[in-house]
Formats: sequence, structure tokens, C-alpha cells
Amino acid sequence: MNNDPPLDQIQEPEVSTSELDEVIGANKDLFDKLNKIPEIEALGTVVEEDEESEKKGDETHPLLDVVHKIKSLYTENDLVRYAAWAMVMILISTTALTILEYDMFNSNLAEDVDGSFIFGKTEPNWLDTFFHTFWWSVVTFTTVGYGDVSPITHLGKFLTIIIMLLNFGVVTLLGGAVASVLVAERLKGDDTLDESKFNDHLVIAGWNATVPSILKLIDANEDSTDVVILVNVTDRDIIQRAMTGYERLDITHISENFTHESVLRKAFLEKAGTFMILPDNSGLLPHEEPDEDKTVLTCLTAKSISESCNVVAHVLDVENVSHLQRANANEIVVPDEHVPHLLAKHVTDPGVPQFFDDLILKEEDDKGLQEVKIPRTLKGQTHNKISAFYKFKYGWLLVGYAIRKAGFSLDEQMGESGSPLIRNMIKEQLDGAGINLTSDEHVVVEINPPDDYKIDKKHSALVLR
Amino acid sequence: MNPSAEQIQKINHFSKVHIDMCAKIASVVEIQECGPKEQLLTEGDTGDTMVLVFQGQVEVSKNMMVKTASGIATSRKPIIRLETTDPPPASEPETESTVFVVEAPAFGIGEFSLVLDNAIRTAHVHSTTPVQYGILSLDDFTNIVKENPEIGGSVYFEVAKSAVNNLATASGDISNLTQAFFFALTR
Repeated sequence: MNNDPPLDQIQEPEVSTSELDEVIGANKDLFDKLNKIPEIEALGTVVEEDEESEKKGDETHPLLDVVHKIKSLYTENDLVRYAAWAMVMILISTTALTILEYDMFNSNLAEDVDGSFIFGKTEPNWLDTFFHTFWWSVVTFTTVGYGDVSPITHLGKFLTIIIMLLNFGVVTLLGGAVASVLVAERLKGDDTLDESKFNDHLVIAGWNATVPSILKLIDANEDSTDVVILVNVTDRDIIQRAMTGYERLDITHISENFTHESVLRKAFLEKAGTFMILPDNSGLLPHEEPDEDKTVLTCLTAKSISESCNVVAHVLDVENVSHLQRANANEIVVPDEHVPHLLAKHVTDPGVPQFFDDLILKEEDDKGLQEVKIPRTLKGQTHNKISAFYKFKYGWLLVGYAIRKAGFSLDEQMGESGSPLIRNMIKEQLDGAGINLTSDEHVVVEINPPDDYKIDKKHSALVLR
Repeated sequence: MNPSAEQIQKINHFSKVHIDMCAKIASVVEIQECGPKEQLLTEGDTGDTMVLVFQGQVEVSKNMMVKTASGIATSRKPIIRLETTDPPPASEPETESTVFVVEAPAFGIGEFSLVLDNAIRTAHVHSTTPVQYGILSLDDFTNIVKENPEIGGSVYFEVAKSAVNNLATASGDISNLTQAFFFALTR
């Protein structure tokens, strides 16, 4: 049975001034009590501790970092690999030449320098000779070739041939690398993306007038991802204009058809945090409607690439909602869905629509309704304590929680009950129909829960800043 | 030829029946033989006889409506195989088993016929090796029980146990199918 008072009583309460003071006084006591409980007193250090531990996690030894960079450069770059081995070959050839042509290089050095040597003081010793031979090898390798000295023996000449041929390889590779960069730039622009920066990023498939606004809002929220890939075939000039002017966002554009699996893979969809599919106006005339079958098809393709990918789809036609649900879209946004409610509220609860306008449309950078992570030390606490924490610590109003609910697994649900024959038949038939036995994790909200409502690690706070 | 009382007692349903009573049951059962791939029971038929298998292997299967590449079709799905161990089958099965093989000294199938007139057969049973079996009819068994009521208790207890197990499995199947139905509807 619902014990809540009737709505009329809430809207027009008949309370005396003394009763009101009493209620306020009681709440003040409650908040004072909450503020004094050990958990809340300890909360002041909670966030700082969390931030410090995160910082520590990110720190790595600078020397290791350099080694790692050199290693990755060596493994990923043919030119660097070739140059490294060429240097090794030059050193080996130089050593051999120093031994074979010692007299020739030594006397040439003595004539050139005339009495002042680093290692041998007045007479060049073998180290001076080695360095001189090395100098000659590099002069030859780089095709500068001063001609002041040249090998005499056959073996010396043979080693010189090796040095000269090594140079041939380096020049060829270097020329090829430069040419391929220029050709790739000309053909595709940003066709090859640096995979390392794409993790937990946002991919937006399709283009329409809402995209710049979406990017602006994401740019304003510092807690959200700063790497975005746009996939559409809209005119490059339009995209270039839309991609500029953001403080945080690093935006990449892939000018290809986003319904193709290969294109979505190019956008590293399997590593993306969110995949947003929008009605695509690319190449359409003003009176033409976007083809929303593409949205459903793209959702299916995305889910086939990565079952865990968080797909947010925007559709104009409500008919497509059921299709997208079958395609396993995590969130489906339908425009004008809230309009009847807002219009009715103008009549029943004047002020509420204006409140939503202010809350959503006039959202500033650090104001408005936002989702924030709850410090992990607060997990397991009750709602009233979490609420007091945000109120006293930041002055934010906690209005509810976003909760990540685990997906439903039919397989787990069936367990060992019933006969194996029926269980196997269900699995075979659903699998044959392309229905996955596990549904995705999804987000639900809990608004203004009771004071004793407990939160766990699946919860994040929805606060009014 | 009639089976021996010991052969009857090897069957689970009669394991607690006194050997003298087993001899009475054996006296109304005639041993028959059949080769592999012989149909012993057909799903959906009604019958008032229980099949007692003394030697050989049989496969229990059910008809299922399944979706195939060519559309909806009825397919016979094997559920389980039953095999005697005392004595074992005279030869290897004709086909490799794709389901679990339950071994027992001897076994009975269609046991619900001992309590129900015209009991519906819930599955197909066919032989996969040469089989030596006997038929016990409801009338013969009822007459023996009338003359010797002490037999009824233990036999009917085993039949009831089998029925309860079947009921629990069927309940689980209904639950699984209902869940799968709603799961498929929401996808």
C-alpha cells in the first residue's frame, strides 16, 4: 500500500510558520548529524586519495618509456630497422678495414693531422685509425666521397662495395617512405590512423545538423572522451569547418560508407567506448529524408564486430525502434518523444517545462545535470550519506543514480533445469535465428531513492551542479 | 521361451520383488528377438504393454519441429541410449551414439502401461543392436498383482518415482521454453 500523501497536499501544504521552522530545524539537525558521522568526516580526503592513486597508476619510469619508444620505433618502422642494421654492418666493415688496411689508413691519418691525436698524442694509435676508418666509411656510405683515401687490397675494396650497397638500400627505402606518405595523403588524407590513441573513443556514424552541437557538448564536459571519429561521406569542406574550434576534442574524419564492416573496423569500433548512429543527411537534398534502414544495418554490423560495443542510435521514424531493439542497440533516441509531456506540463505543472529548458538547453560548461563517478570508497554506503557527501563537499544536489545493469543470459538462466534435449534445441534454434543468448549491459536510472538505498560499484551519481 | 526369474529381477522396476514373484511375472513373458533398426515403440501410439529388454542396446528419440534451411521440418532427435550390461549387446551398435548411453543389467521401457490402460507412448524406441526382449501386458500384470498384492507396492513405487522425475523435468522444460520465448520476443 502506498503511504505517500496525496499530490494536492504536497503542492499546497497547509503548515503554520512554527511547523515550518520545526521541519527546517529537524532537517538541519539531520544534516548536522550526517555531517558529523565518521564516514562523512573522512570523505574530505576520499577524492584526493582516488586522484592520487590514479596518478600513481599512470606514472612509469622515464627510462623505460624511452626504451619502449625505441623498441616500438624499431619494430614498426622498416627504415629505422634497416638503418640500424646498416650501422651494424658499417661498424663490422670498418673494423675489418681497420685491420686489413691499417697501414694505409694510419699513414693517411698521420699525414692529414700532423701530430695531434686524441688517443695516441703524437702518433696515431689503432683507436685513432679506427675512428679515421669509420669517418671514411660514413663519407663513402653517404656518397659524399672526398676521395682523400681509398682501400688498396681486394678484400678492402670488397668491404667498400658492401658499404656502398647498404647506402643504396637506405636511399631507396627513404625515397619510398616519403613517396608513400605523399601518395597516401593525396589519395585518402587521413586513411591510416594511429591506433594507439583510439581506445574508449567515440565514433559518430552519419552526418546532420545536430553533430556540431553534440561535439560542442562533449567538448564542454571534461570527464568525457576527447577522441572522436566521424564516419560519413559529407563534403570534406563542411566536415573540416565542423571539426575546428574545440578546446579538447581530437577529431578524425573517415570519408567512407559507414554501413561497411571494413570501414567500421578502420574506426577501431571494437575498442570504442560509444558508437553513435545518426540519421545521415550526407549527399541529400533539403527535402529528402535520410534512409534509416542504414541505421539498423549499421547497428547489426557494429554488434557483429563487437557485441559489447555501446550503440546509441537516433531514429526519426518510431517504426524503426523495434528493428533497432532486435538489432540489439543499447540506447535508442527518438525525437519529439518528450514533447507531449512537456506540453501537458505547461497546463498541469507550470514551471516544470521551463525547468527542463534551463536544465538541458542552457547547460553551461560546469553547470547542469551531470553524471559523475562515485568515489570507490563510498561504494556500499546508503543514499543519504552519498547525498550529504555531494552537498557538503561540492554543493551539488544528488538527484539519482545511473546504474549499469548486467545483461541477461538465457544460458545461465536455464542452468541445468529441464532436459538437455530441450535446452540444446533452444540454443540451436535461437542461434540459427541469429539471436544471441546474452543481452547487453544497459543503463537504468533510479531517481530520488529512499534514504537507506544502498549503492554498489555499478552506480554512478546524477548530480545537479 | 520364457525368461528366468533372475532376468526379470535384473530390471530396475522389479529389483525389490521377491524371486518367487519374479518367476510368476516371467511365466507370462515370452522372449523375442529382433535385429538392429527395429522400431519397438512409436511416439504418440497408445499401448498397454511394457517392453522388458534383456540384452542389447536401444535408442530413445522424440519428434521435434525445428527450423532448417528449407523451412520448418519435423526432425527425430535422439535423447538417450539404454544398453544392457548382463549380458552385454551381442554386437557393436549400427551407428555411433551422439547422446549419453545409460548402462543397466537389464531395463524396462513403457512402464506407464503397468498403471494406465492405453498409455500414450512419449517417445520412439528403436534397436541399435540385436535385441532380446519380452512383453509384459497390463492384463497379465494386473492379474498377478490381484493374486499377489505385495508385488504392487514396490513396482508401483518405481513407476511413480519415474513419473515424478518426468514431471520435474517437464516443469523445467516449460520454464526454459517460456523464458526462451519471451527472450526471443524482446530481441
